Amino acid sequence: MEQIALQGLAKDYILEGSRITAVQEVSLDIRKGDFICIVGHSGSGKTTLLSMLGCILKPSAGKVFFEGTDVYSLGEDALSEYRARKVGYVFQFASLLPALTAKENLLLPTLFSGMNGGGSAEKRAVDYMELVGLGDKVNAYPGQLSGGQQRRVAIARALMNDPSAILADEPTGDLDEETENEVMNLFKKINRENNITFILVTHSSELARAADRKIKMFQGHVEEIAIGA
Amino acid sequence: MKFSLFSVAVKNLKRKSFRTAVLIISIGLLVSILVFGASFILSVGSSIEKASDRLGADLLVVPSGAVDVASDVLLASKIKVFYMDKDIIQKVEKVKGVGKLTWQTYLASAPGQCCSIPPAEIVAFNQDTDFIVTPWLRKSLRRNLKKNEALIGYNSNKNLGLLNVDSTMFNIKFKFVGVLEKTGTGLDNAIFISDKDLKDIMASSSMAKVKPNQISAIFVKVKKGYNPKDVARNIMNDIMQVDVIQRANIGKRMLSTLGDINKIFLITILMASVLSIFLTWTIFSAIVNERFREIGIMKAIGAKGSHIVKLFVMEVLLLGLIGSLLGTAAGMYLSAFLSKTFALLRDLSATLTLTQRVEVVALGLVVGVGICVIGALSSIIRIKNLEPLSVLKEV
Repeated sequence: MEQIALQGLAKDYILEGSRITAVQEVSLDIRKGDFICIVGHSGSGKTTLLSMLGCILKPSAGKVFFEGTDVYSLGEDALSEYRARKVGYVFQFASLLPALTAKENLLLPTLFSGMNGGGSAEKRAVDYMELVGLGDKVNAYPGQLSGGQQRRVAIARALMNDPSAILADEPTGDLDEETENEVMNLFKKINRENNITFILVTHSSELARAADRKIKMFQGHVEEIAIGA
Repeated sequence: MKFSLFSVAVKNLKRKSFRTAVLIISIGLLVSILVFGASFILSVGSSIEKASDRLGADLLVVPSGAVDVASDVLLASKIKVFYMDKDIIQKVEKVKGVGKLTWQTYLASAPGQCCSIPPAEIVAFNQDTDFIVTPWLRKSLRRNLKKNEALIGYNSNKNLGLLNVDSTMFNIKFKFVGVLEKTGTGLDNAIFISDKDLKDIMASSSMAKVKPNQISAIFVKVKKGYNPKDVARNIMNDIMQVDVIQRANIGKRMLSTLGDINKIFLITILMASVLSIFLTWTIFSAIVNERFREIGIMKAIGAKGSHIVKLFVMEVLLLGLIGSLLGTAAGMYLSAFLSKTFALLRDLSATLTLTQRVEVVALGLVVGVGICVIGALSSIIRIKNLEPLSVLKEV
């Protein structure tokens, strides 16, 4: 059974009086444990689609079912809980809060989901920092970390609430080749070992090759779905 | 500190320490003005009321036209003299409703000429009838003053340290043998002698302006069942040469002056409040704009609108609370400092009771925090309803 189902998903924007269609009529089924890459040119609607999947952007039409629940029929608070507990989101830009240390950034989602009791969250944060190879940077502030390190902390943060799916927007966008490979291996490892669904937006052909399914977007449509590398 | 929304709020404020300091100082300044103003108005107002209560008389009979001067002497420790004929005592005694009465005669010391003490109001009181000075002497002197003995007011003793020292007043050596307890009235700054010494004083120095058979004021207690207002009217009707001040009206002129000062303080506080609200609004609008991305990120990783609101409210409350506490402390210090240098406060021995202090502190905290909340309110409402990605896209 599919974990995530998109039905006729669409998003329009009004820009300077004109209606812009960013995504139109996308229907898609995603199974638990899938490793999916969304590719396409700039402006093809990749990020918009991912944002609607991550419940951070309301669609103009269509539905997103997550484990059978129509997420956009949920109220504001329930939607926030869905974002906190079910989805881990990795942004395409530096997304750590500058006033907090790396560990505190990891603890933030647990604070919002209420999963921060008993000191287990702190231990989990340290474990995930070690998993992303930054065990020695637990108390570092974002300003003291490189771009690649910040990205890895953001990935660790996305894992903190043990989500069912990780959505990542250009997770290796500004990383060097070596770090990109590290991140990709990390994703594959988590996907394999924890059976967590991964949906990535990427320009990287390396990353796309590693995916179980590759979804190619063109002018807001799904142009092609390729299975396997 | 355990990781919580509160610790995040503290870290956010610490990160922009200069801006935080500017806001805290602004709120602190406003609150210090408010606390100082409130302390001033409360302490002066209640001191005048208390002082008139503590005089122990229902009515004060003074020479015609000397009402304000008498208030100055009794409440504001001004050194002033005024006289009327002594036979007025008998006339007042006969007025319907008059109960106990006593009288005092005032002299102004003349330092460097006939007196070795600094400028002071010297009060000659009648020990046989007195009920004004004696109640404040219970602890320090349990007998009548002997010839050439004097008493010293609480503040005069503190300032001059004359107890058990021989001093010359109007060319006569006096010994200070007792100190009055603190009365909170002009009596605290005076020196007291028996009116039996007046004869010698008048004989030995021309600096004492008083003539034989003159007194300055008569203090009257009305008989039980009589209204002081009616008795005052009776005295005024029967004796043309005097004015009568009721206890409730002592210091009325000062209270009306205080009313004007009160208005000035209120206008200043109002303007400062508006300015602080505007400043808080400007700074919080800037903070929210600057932190749009952070808000979006927090929402995207599961923060509810209430989490974001709580976080910003905590920051606002922290700023308001710290600013208010500092402002309250500064305002209290300012009023304590100025009570020693401001003539009006110093002369009145104006102090706040514990309850008044608590009220002033509470007022400072409520206004300081309230201004921060009002100033930040529109920004907080704005961020509450934003969609995560719309926030991220605005960056």
